[in-house]
Amino acid sequence: MDRIIFEGLGKRYGRQWALRGVNARFVPGEVVMVIGPNGSGKTTLIKCLLGLVRATEGAITVNGTAVSSDPAYRAAIGYMPQLAEFPKELTVEQLLRMMNDIRGARTGSTDERLFAELGVESLLDKRVSALSGGMRQKVSAVLAFRYRPNILVLDEPTAGLDPVSAGRLLDAVLRARREGATVLITSHIMEEVQRLGDRVAYLQDGRLRFTLAPETITSATGESALSQALPKYISQLAPHDVEGL
Amino acid sequence: MWKVCKYTLLDLARNRFAMGYTILLFAVSTGMFMIEGDNTKALITLSQVVLALTPLLALVFTIIYFYNQYEFTVLLAVQPIGRRSIVLAQFLAVSSALLAAFMLGVGLPVLAWAPGAVGATLLVSGAALTTVFCAVGAWIAVTQRDRARAVGIGLVTWVFLVLVYDSLLLWLMFAFSDRPIEPLIVPLAALNPIDLSRMLIMLRIDLAALLGYTGAVYHQFFGSTGGMVVSLLALMLWTALPCWWAVRAFARKDL
Repeated sequence: MDRIIFEGLGKRYGRQWALRGVNARFVPGEVVMVIGPNGSGKTTLIKCLLGLVRATEGAITVNGTAVSSDPAYRAAIGYMPQLAEFPKELTVEQLLRMMNDIRGARTGSTDERLFAELGVESLLDKRVSALSGGMRQKVSAVLAFRYRPNILVLDEPTAGLDPVSAGRLLDAVLRARREGATVLITSHIMEEVQRLGDRVAYLQDGRLRFTLAPETITSATGESALSQALPKYISQLAPHDVEGL
Repeated sequence: MWKVCKYTLLDLARNRFAMGYTILLFAVSTGMFMIEGDNTKALITLSQVVLALTPLLALVFTIIYFYNQYEFTVLLAVQPIGRRSIVLAQFLAVSSALLAAFMLGVGLPVLAWAPGAVGATLLVSGAALTTVFCAVGAWIAVTQRDRARAVGIGLVTWVFLVLVYDSLLLWLMFAFSDRPIEPLIVPLAALNPIDLSRMLIMLRIDLAALLGYTGAVYHQFFGSTGGMVVSLLALMLWTALPCWWAVRAFARKDL
């Protein structure tokens, strides 16, 4: 069964369409890298999925449930924003407890693997105001994975992380995929896109131009690196071609 | 809702501004009672400070706190909880924290120097104004995208309610002094929560001469228990309406 379905999705801000006619289906156990130039609609697509913005037209189905004002469907989603901000005077332990309370998580039901791998244990008694940007990103990553979501939405997850932590986070993504999660990641780092992505969803001017495997793009252009293959592939597309849906 | 409220309160309990606000109120209140020999006079002076300062700080603090929490609020909105719960919890936490600051900063000195009906009325009015302007601040913060614009709207609202509104009423009363305008002035004055609070305090002190025209008219109409109840109900409405508008706007807002 498809885990996420976008059907004719469109979002308009005033007169400007940020997203238009997006049709896509994502299945369990795949990593989809959502890429595109600035202002192409990546953030809007993710926000529609998360219920942060209301679609102007079309529909989104998550785990068989239509996305609506009922927040229950979000229990299956783990989200890591690009910029992690938390209440400054709480300690990390209090923050984790707060999220446990909101999620109704019982002792032992949470996934603590990334918690240990990123060394968040040592931050428990620290206040958020004392954390660096990278430390806050680690806490944010732990929160995204902690409640065993079957959908992970990660917005430029490695930005601000040190290389070791970034590597561990990406390993956690691959582990989640093996365990059947559907992972949507926005990224501008093509090495990351090529390494992780089962499919690349390319957005341009609010339209989904294609969702293809990285290998399809590299073989179509004769380039081994996606960073070189992608511009070539895009330049070959006619202005309104929509492929691979 | 209570879960979010509880942890927001924990965050606010260590907030430096909230602590500074408590200390400032305590210093001002204690100073008033120590400088003035007559406790009633000290209460009158203190009430003027409370009527001006409490709305301003509640309004600005609420707006800034809501903006500072924006990214975290987005993270909360992605959790399996309703948006209404989030904004209500934040409003409850901010107003509770400022109420606690007010009760410690003004309540303790009033209890020490001037316990009684007048002191209690000052505390009730200050508490009501704190809640009202937290609700108005929440509404402004939720409906405005830009922080500076939101603070600007907050300041204009405060200046209007503290200064301009009363001046307009006075002008109206002077301009139509030859006509029976009182029945119109009473509901008009009730539209301003600061005027309402001032009435509650002044009617209890029974110093109509200090009230100005608006107060004099109010004294005539609301110098009774029934009048007090109507004033308190109006203040509750002043809290409930902006709060409801904030909740409704947040539920529909694109984050």
